[in-house]
Amino acid sequence: MKFRPFKTLQGRIFGFFFGLLLITQLGSILITSTIGYSIMGRMLGDELRSGKQVFMRLFEQNTAFLGQGARILAADYGFREAVGSNDADTIVSALDNHSARIKADLMLFIGRDGEVYQSAEKSGKTIDISGLRWLDPTQPPRDTLALIERIDGQLYQLIAVPVTAPLPIGIVVAGFRIDATTAQDIGNITHTEVSFISHGTRSDWQINASTLPAPLAATLGQALNTNQIGEKTIVELQTQQGRYLGLRASLPSPDGQAAGVVLQKSLDRSLEPFYDLRNKLLILGAIGLILSALSSLAIARGISRPIKALAGFATKIAQGDYGEKPVIASTTEIAELTEAFDHMSREIASRETHILQLAYSDTLTGLPNRTMFHDRLQQAINMTGRVGKPLTVMLMDLDHFKYVNDSLGHHIGDLLLKEVASRLQHTLQRGSDTVARLGGDEFAILLPTADIPNARKVARALLSALEAPMTLDGQIIDVRGSIGMASSPQHGSDITALLRCADVAMYQAKRNSSGFAEYDAHYDHNTLERLSLMSELREAVEHNHLVLYYQPKVDLKTSLTYSVEALVRWVHPQRGLVPPDSFIPFAEQTGYIKAITNWVLNEGVKQCAAWKRDGIDVNISINISARDLMNADLPVYFAALLQEYGCPPERICLEITESAILDDPAHAMENLRRLEAIGCKLSIDDYGTGYSSLAYLKRLPVGELKIDRSFVMNMMNDPNDVIIVRSTIDLAHNLGLRVVAEGVENEAILNQLCKLGCDQAQGYLFSKAVSADDFTAWISTQLWRDQVKVACRV
Amino acid sequence: MKRACAYVTLFLSALAGIPPAHAVTLTLQIRDARGAAVEDAVVYLMSNQTHRMPVKNATLRIDQVDKTFVPLVSVAQTGTRVSFPNKDNIRHHVYSFSSAKKFEIKLYADTPSQPVLFDKPGVVVMGCNIHDNMVAHLLLVDTPFFAKSDRQGNARIDGLPPGDYSLIAWYYMRPDKDAGVIPLSLKTDTTRTLTIRTRNPE
Repeated sequence: MKFRPFKTLQGRIFGFFFGLLLITQLGSILITSTIGYSIMGRMLGDELRSGKQVFMRLFEQNTAFLGQGARILAADYGFREAVGSNDADTIVSALDNHSARIKADLMLFIGRDGEVYQSAEKSGKTIDISGLRWLDPTQPPRDTLALIERIDGQLYQLIAVPVTAPLPIGIVVAGFRIDATTAQDIGNITHTEVSFISHGTRSDWQINASTLPAPLAATLGQALNTNQIGEKTIVELQTQQGRYLGLRASLPSPDGQAAGVVLQKSLDRSLEPFYDLRNKLLILGAIGLILSALSSLAIARGISRPIKALAGFATKIAQGDYGEKPVIASTTEIAELTEAFDHMSREIASRETHILQLAYSDTLTGLPNRTMFHDRLQQAINMTGRVGKPLTVMLMDLDHFKYVNDSLGHHIGDLLLKEVASRLQHTLQRGSDTVARLGGDEFAILLPTADIPNARKVARALLSALEAPMTLDGQIIDVRGSIGMASSPQHGSDITALLRCADVAMYQAKRNSSGFAEYDAHYDHNTLERLSLMSELREAVEHNHLVLYYQPKVDLKTSLTYSVEALVRWVHPQRGLVPPDSFIPFAEQTGYIKAITNWVLNEGVKQCAAWKRDGIDVNISINISARDLMNADLPVYFAALLQEYGCPPERICLEITESAILDDPAHAMENLRRLEAIGCKLSIDDYGTGYSSLAYLKRLPVGELKIDRSFVMNMMNDPNDVIIVRSTIDLAHNLGLRVVAEGVENEAILNQLCKLGCDQAQGYLFSKAVSADDFTAWISTQLWRDQVKVACRV
Repeated sequence: MKRACAYVTLFLSALAGIPPAHAVTLTLQIRDARGAAVEDAVVYLMSNQTHRMPVKNATLRIDQVDKTFVPLVSVAQTGTRVSFPNKDNIRHHVYSFSSAKKFEIKLYADTPSQPVLFDKPGVVVMGCNIHDNMVAHLLLVDTPFFAKSDRQGNARIDGLPPGDYSLIAWYYMRPDKDAGVIPLSLKTDTTRTLTIRTRNPE
């Protein structure tokens, strides 16, 4: 991961505070420095200007003072008398005396005629005054004249006053040398560096007296000679000793010459307090920055660390780890957030548990559901695949559960399922075994380590566990199941294959009523055959390969009337005649029976109408499968057929097996009522094979009962069957039902049935099922009349 | 005293040719270069006779009034005695360091007992040692024929014997220079206009 410090909260907080402080610190230092510099510059400038004023004032006062001294001499009567009398010695001595009095370095008198009297120089040197051309004795100054003159490389302030008697008679000149001491004295007052400068006629600036050290004075001299120092403006001078601000003032000087003073102040020295302040600010700023960096880091970490911890917590939650909340010592807000996260985590965990329960378990029984069973099965397959051990899958279906549900109510149905689930669960010994409810009354059992022999034992145990009667809400209920078993790797190595095999085996078990069955490839062969059968069957319906055969039913009471049962036959183009047993059960299983029934109804009604037109008065019975009985469209379709062919409804009798009704009695009853309302007759087929009681059948709108052929055919061999047939006939008659016996194959049976009072008989004795044409031929033979007469002795 | 060569423009309005035996009067109109009347200009006539002539007015008075010498300019014949009456109620100390007459009258009030004798020709500038601003000019000439122009610039010299003279003008603002020297032959009363320089050349 790239390091991007400002993408993190910590980095941003730190960066923000640190950056803010850094900017303000730098800004304040910058401003302080800049303002300090400019203030100091301005202050220095002001100081220099005021220094200049002070200096000028000082200079004027000094000039006035010195002029006063000179004027005192000029006005002295004795001096004037000496002058008036040309007394040279007296004049010079007066000059000496006076110069000492006013501390002049030089004093001289110039007479009107140009003669000069000079006081003795302190240093003993004679000063050449030939340069002082500005002093014209014939035109003496009216009042005091003060000029700065360079004499012998020394700068003098010369003050000339006239001597009058009372008209001017000469000039007294007092001279004061300007030297370093002078500069120093003035500097002490003006608080500046003071340099007296002058130039002669060649504009060669010299520094004649200065408080500056020699190197600085040299720099100043160069600056002067390059005209860098003005009179009005402050000039900054860069020297080796630092920066100096300077201001020049001109002093009166003789024509052609110049004199002045330069006042300077060291900028650096003045800025020292500011540099000091800036340095302190820098130190303070650095300390502040470090402190702020540390504290903002601490704050940022204080914020980001709990957030990171919470993020980790949230990530764990996302991965399904609902562990303990992180322990975070932090602010109230973060603590609240942590608490909220923890609460959320616990809520999610409990909801997930609940959702998992919903997703993986059956809410009614609490057993694992189909999804979970598939998961476990897959796991088990993976395990056995690795170690090469067998596993077994069982599918179990309760027989006639719908009947219980419909007759006793859903509540009892649910209780039954729970009880079954509980018994199955308790029967399974090993914890690794799984029992699941796949839906409805279908259960699945996974035995992850069992082979078929072991599984058989388990299956027996399970079935026997169900055998004990259940008392549910005060009702005693018997329940039975059919179990199909398939084993891995023998029968398949994936879920789909195993479950399919188990399913096939379960149907086999159901068909055989054998309780349980193992998968056999033979069943599967059937299955394959049935698959091809399916497509052929569809073809047969579409191309009219089906035909209806009719088997007569003879009335035993009158021997005159008869009816027929329509039976479907499949004339296969290759295989020839296919018996109904070979495709009707299959069609019932796959649902294709609906199309076949429709076809049969259509043909039957059409034939009935045709016979009626031909004057053949015959009732036709048509078989309706369990699935047809569930079809709510059937009554509508049937009514439409009757209408179409103009067939009276009472001519048609619909035969329904008792098991078809028992599968879903409520729907069956509904449809039966609607069919009865149309006006057709209804008959119970194959009576005796199911478990229905006559009391129950009584509630059905049927008018006929057909005793299953198995009882009838065996009557001659088994007295019990005679008893069954007799009691059935008696009971049916008591209930007002007509009784038809199927499977009448010989006269003995027919005779027996007549004795028992059976109403109608059907069987090979009279005729097998024949085509419509053959049936009309059979009628014309009238053979059955004699048979009945003989057998029943009518 | 230096007599520098100065040019004088002299306009003679009229000249009489007949020498009279009686005295004549010279009347002068004194103007400066711009034609303005010049006050306090001194004019005197010199001839080879004049320095022998007796002092006509032996005494002269120069007052001190309001710390001022009155008159400012005086002219007198050599040998005149001048008194300095002090009209102020303060004292004065009159002095002169002029070569024509050095003197001093130390602090006095009223009139000093002795007038000062000015016995040499020349200019005497007097001042007061107490009051620097006080100044008086006294020109001593070796002739009795002199006059001082009035406010209108008129000067009049009476009682002149007809004859040849040198007319000399002097102005106190140019004390070391004659304002002009003009030879003049007087026969009758004469009136002339005299233009003089009152300032030093710039």
